Amino acid sequence: MTNRRPSCEEAAHAAPGGGEPLVQIGLPTGTRSTGFDATRRDVLSLMGFSLGALGVAGCRAPVQHAVPLPTASVEMVPGVPNLYATTCGGCSAACALVVKQRDGRPIKIEGNESSPLTGGGTCAAGQASVLSLYDDARLRGPSWLGNPVSWPEMDRHIRTALGGHSDAREVVLLSQTITSPSTRAVLEDLRAVFPKFRHVVYDPMSLAPLRAANRLCHGVAVIPHYRFDRARVVVGLEADFLGTWLAPVEFARQWAQRRKAGAERAFHVQCEAGLSVTGSNADLRLAVAPSDLGRFAVALLAAVARRLGDEQPAGLDASALAQETTHAAAVDRIAAELVRSRGESLVVSGSDDVATQIVVARLNAQLGNIGKTVDLERPSWQRQGDDAALPALINDMNRGAVHALMIWGANPVYDHPDGAAFRAALAKVALTISFADRRDETSAHVHAVCPDHHFLEAWGDAEPVAGQFSLRQPLIAPLHDTRAAVESMLAWADRPADHRSVVRDFWRRALYGRTTPAPGGFEDFWERTLERGVVEIPRPPVATHPFAGDWEGAVRDIISRGRANRSGAEHGGGYELALLETVGARDGRHANNPWLQELPDPMTRLTWGNVACVAPETAAALGVATGDVVSLTTEIGKLELPAFVQAGQQRRTISVAVGYGRWAAGKAGDGVGANVFPLARVENGARRYWARVAIAKTGRRARLAPAQTHFSMEGREIVQFEHVNEHEHEHEKLPDLWRERLRGAHAWGMSIDLDACTGCSACVVACQAENNIPVVGAEQVRKSRIMHWMRIDRYFEGDGEDARSLHQPMMCQHCQHAPCETVCPVLATTTSSEGINQQVYNRCIGTRYCANNCPYKVRRFNWHNFTANDDFPYNMQSPLGRLVLNPDVTVRSRGVMEKCNLCVQRIQLGKNQAVLQRRPMADGDVATACQQACPTGAIVFGDRGDPDSRVSKLLAGQRAYNVLEELGTRPNVGYLKRIARKEST
Amino acid sequence: MSTGAMEPTAGTGPEIAPATRWIEGTPSLHRITTDISRPMEAKPGRGWWICFGIAGAAVLNLLGMVTYLFAKGIGIWGLNNAVGWAFDITNFVFWIGIGHAGTLISAILLLFRQKWRTSINRSAEAMTIFAVMCAGLFPLIHMGRPWDAFFIFPYFPNQRGPLWVNFRSPLVWDVFAISTYFTISLVFWYLGMIPDLATLRDRAVSGIKKFVFRILSMGWNGSQRTWSRYEIVSLVLAALATPLVLSVHSIVSTDFATSLLPGWHTTIFPPYFVAGAIYSGFGMVLTLLIITRQTMHLERYITTNHLEAMAKVTLLTGSLVGYAYATEFFNAWYSGNVYERFHFINRATGPYAWCFYLMVLCNVLTPQIFWWKRARRSIPLLFIASILVNVGMWFERFVIIVVSLHRAFLPSGWGMFYPTVFDVGILIGVFGLFFSLFLLFIRALPMIAMWEVKGVAND
Repeated sequence: MTNRRPSCEEAAHAAPGGGEPLVQIGLPTGTRSTGFDATRRDVLSLMGFSLGALGVAGCRAPVQHAVPLPTASVEMVPGVPNLYATTCGGCSAACALVVKQRDGRPIKIEGNESSPLTGGGTCAAGQASVLSLYDDARLRGPSWLGNPVSWPEMDRHIRTALGGHSDAREVVLLSQTITSPSTRAVLEDLRAVFPKFRHVVYDPMSLAPLRAANRLCHGVAVIPHYRFDRARVVVGLEADFLGTWLAPVEFARQWAQRRKAGAERAFHVQCEAGLSVTGSNADLRLAVAPSDLGRFAVALLAAVARRLGDEQPAGLDASALAQETTHAAAVDRIAAELVRSRGESLVVSGSDDVATQIVVARLNAQLGNIGKTVDLERPSWQRQGDDAALPALINDMNRGAVHALMIWGANPVYDHPDGAAFRAALAKVALTISFADRRDETSAHVHAVCPDHHFLEAWGDAEPVAGQFSLRQPLIAPLHDTRAAVESMLAWADRPADHRSVVRDFWRRALYGRTTPAPGGFEDFWERTLERGVVEIPRPPVATHPFAGDWEGAVRDIISRGRANRSGAEHGGGYELALLETVGARDGRHANNPWLQELPDPMTRLTWGNVACVAPETAAALGVATGDVVSLTTEIGKLELPAFVQAGQQRRTISVAVGYGRWAAGKAGDGVGANVFPLARVENGARRYWARVAIAKTGRRARLAPAQTHFSMEGREIVQFEHVNEHEHEHEKLPDLWRERLRGAHAWGMSIDLDACTGCSACVVACQAENNIPVVGAEQVRKSRIMHWMRIDRYFEGDGEDARSLHQPMMCQHCQHAPCETVCPVLATTTSSEGINQQVYNRCIGTRYCANNCPYKVRRFNWHNFTANDDFPYNMQSPLGRLVLNPDVTVRSRGVMEKCNLCVQRIQLGKNQAVLQRRPMADGDVATACQQACPTGAIVFGDRGDPDSRVSKLLAGQRAYNVLEELGTRPNVGYLKRIARKEST
Repeated sequence: MSTGAMEPTAGTGPEIAPATRWIEGTPSLHRITTDISRPMEAKPGRGWWICFGIAGAAVLNLLGMVTYLFAKGIGIWGLNNAVGWAFDITNFVFWIGIGHAGTLISAILLLFRQKWRTSINRSAEAMTIFAVMCAGLFPLIHMGRPWDAFFIFPYFPNQRGPLWVNFRSPLVWDVFAISTYFTISLVFWYLGMIPDLATLRDRAVSGIKKFVFRILSMGWNGSQRTWSRYEIVSLVLAALATPLVLSVHSIVSTDFATSLLPGWHTTIFPPYFVAGAIYSGFGMVLTLLIITRQTMHLERYITTNHLEAMAKVTLLTGSLVGYAYATEFFNAWYSGNVYERFHFINRATGPYAWCFYLMVLCNVLTPQIFWWKRARRSIPLLFIASILVNVGMWFERFVIIVVSLHRAFLPSGWGMFYPTVFDVGILIGVFGLFFSLFLLFIRALPMIAMWEVKGVAND
């Protein structure tokens, strides 16, 4: 690969006369406004900045000064990318990353293959987070009462305000889960300074009931570390672990390991209300309403207990319990599978109900999964939020018990049902501080906004799973006048320190001692860890005890509530609103990222907004069609959203994605979709993600922005299946009158495993980032003009609740007999000697004949100028946003055709590297952007001319096929058939 | 109205029907010259001004829209990833097709010694020239980067290195076919006008007019030798132009036939397109001549007999087109190909089914009225039918292009095309351009070949 660097520090160390201040990277002061109105002066300054960035080692070294190229180290070669390991800040999963830096600018996120958790995978949001660095909506510096101030002024204001506090009142830090061990240590230090310091943690998508259940059953309030790779049977209960739940990248990787294991292939059952990425990949998917989930778990527990000969819940009849769910037959089957794979099975649930989580814990305990697939001793530190804490905090604020409130990485005004109450309570606090990077829904109402760095500008560390550590280091000097939140807090506590030393000292003090000492001492360990990014440092197991929960009480609780619910539902005829997270929007924190807004949701293929998913039967009963605006009314709120008829949706439920409807996210994110967070409330200290809802037609229509409008395969063999234990007939090779194409040193090709592809769409964003693909906006998407080179097609098989959803990544197939190629009048598209169908932009005159003749419809035309055009106010319009562009890839002008070129720039880089190292290219030297991003390894790229390459072997296998093979296009991209178990529900 | 009974019988036997007269009455040769020259020498009437005003406004609209198109990109049209061609190429094929009637009348009918062509060949050829000009606009403006349009010509010296056009691409064949067609048509048309231009030169009063016509008539002296050579050249050019009638639209049809798209990929296209082209061309000639003979008072020269002859050609070619439609459906069914079958089911039942039925109504059913002689000789019926033929043929191309593209192989790539104001505006604008050119033509040049009409005037 490219120059993998341990750390940016080295570059600065190597600079002669190190301490001399040479060039300071950062935006010129003239650009200090949140609206970023680019005047002529600004544009010139920014051009100067860009030029500066070109010539400057854009890293933040201990000397805090960047170094210009003429005196730079040998590491910074213009045109050669450097890779630095760091840790993702996109969500609490804190995946290990390797970030590509070109000419001082981080331009592409890659997964860190050294990570034992993710193995190099990433998710869509993580891939997109590099664009958030260059977000125009980011604050240019701190502001006090809405006025820009300098950091010393800000510190003076805050010290004065803090100084006046009496010991009786609290200083509170409100944050989402913090997985950084060094930061947690800093927070401990703060307790010493502020006697009544309190840390309140909440998560917008909470897993508090799971932790509560483990406290009741096993004595520890933790989220176990799940091991899907060890499970032969996986039962997911409303837990989208392949798409959004907890640590989807890690789980998808584990899950896929079991998919590729041939005969040992895991059996995966998913129960959920709305169709999720996970549900669409399950071997058996059952549509279960949220209010029925507990009873389903109970029925499963009863069936498992019966097969194991274990005790049944006292006072309850097993056969009656089986009737608690409409899926009684399936439950019995699942129980049989679970019991057969005792100790190698796994039941996970994202339920918001503690009783259900207790039943699930009991199931895992009975099946002997604890310590095997459910690791409580080395738990996950993600999602530490406490649902009851935020409502309690609002109370305290209203009582005047809180003197100062610091808000870090949290946006409760937007993402909490009590957001309005929180906002009102802010006024009762003497000092409110936000570390938000923008004037968002919450930070708009605080006294002091002290913007934190973007994670690519920051130091840090993370321990997402006990013992699994990773480091974060800056890839660029802060673009704006921001300061690490840790530095800010320490400054106010009169213990000023820079963040790098905080992290480093913590590692020296707390972690280094637990490792095998390195020969070079701590320095050596630190350098190696920075380079590798991740390190495993064993820690003593968390003390737990065997299952001792009151599961019978939980069962009785569920049964009684369920019966009440059922009769209520039968009488009211009501529907249930289920909140769900989508891979693009997640919990809404990335809302101003246009890459994610335009990422088609894999389950609906919609962009730019959320919808109310209704089952086809329900839609027929209500007289609602896709696009009809419906109103959803719950006890605590009302919302209007366009309906979307979704096969696979549970009949009595309506699913709505969270993360939309922000009003202070920025230009791209404001007013997109509607916010469903306020519709489900906090009940008995637990946050609910479903609510009873009344649905009504409004009579209005909305225009959705779909990337795909037709979901049936029309009987065409597009996504093909291989049935387990069924031998396929010998594949007939179709005759071909043409000679093999002459080829050069390589014959590049790609294999895509449809059985491993989950549809998570990380590859789509990775491709967009790598190849400078423009964002076109909702209006152009409505006109079917989305520009993505890679798309994840979705098809349905079957109908109703049992509909099965199929994903198929589709991009240029690099046909050996390319239909596009013969029709181009000017030879703007040709096949290279290495089998790549290449598009010559400066030769293209835009007749679009190639796109018309492409049977895969993968060619994308620049209908307008999408760069620096005010009609398309997304990242490529703004000079700052354009810093994310990959200098190795042409930015296309209007009027030319474009499409996937198998990351030809990466192939070239791989070739250069091999030449420099005087060796032939080896299999695996080049990974395309989509392949690198894929958490399940579904995409394999390589040389088909080499019979021993992975791609050659895969494409020679039994499962390989080409889409539309009968057309004789002979693609170089092949697919591996999805494996179908013959399941009957 | 002329009937055979009024004319002197030419044959000897009573059983031989009298030859059809192609000129009403027996005007003197001088009368013919003055009648035909009148539109060029008199001030234009109100009808002409109204027509020209409307057409000119449409041209201004076209100029504005094309300017905006060049400024903003073809995203202002309704095209998208699924449907890469729609109004643009529909218009292109439509106008190319229109041109065909002119060449057929002037070249093929000349070779077949069809005397009825004499009154209409000049204006039909002019129509060809203008239609090809209108058609030629679209390959240019439909490009994403029209400023690089010259890339599609093999040019020399080639300063861009060893870059050639792609000789395998039907679009390059189009370039050759259409430029050849335009050149031959223009030369043939101009050559045919030389004796008349000389007549106009001799009649011209003003100095400028005389000067211009003197240059244009190339020193025509009307001598026996000149006439003899002229006749030979005409025949040679007619022979050269004749294969073009078949080749040009055959080649245009390969734009579609050589692709692999269901609905395009079919071997019937070349003859089917040629029949359609002649059909639509005759429709347009009928429309134009009915308007012109009325507004320019040339009923004597463009007689109902002419219109009837054209109605017969329309009936024949319309039926051929109908047969082609049926064959396409039959083949889709007979092939068993799922994509073909789906395409034709979608054509007849999909979201654009109304376009298909409109096309069948206009192109297949409308000309069937011409089995009746009274219909063939009724000016209002002919006029309405000719308009319907034009509408139908435009929709035929729209159906072939858009319906095939919008639902092709992978259902994930399916989409819809909805025209924008710019799609419609440019369609109208090009009609304006065509009629403007034609209206200017009938004012500036003899729209009926005087010397040829004189040859049949007193048969």
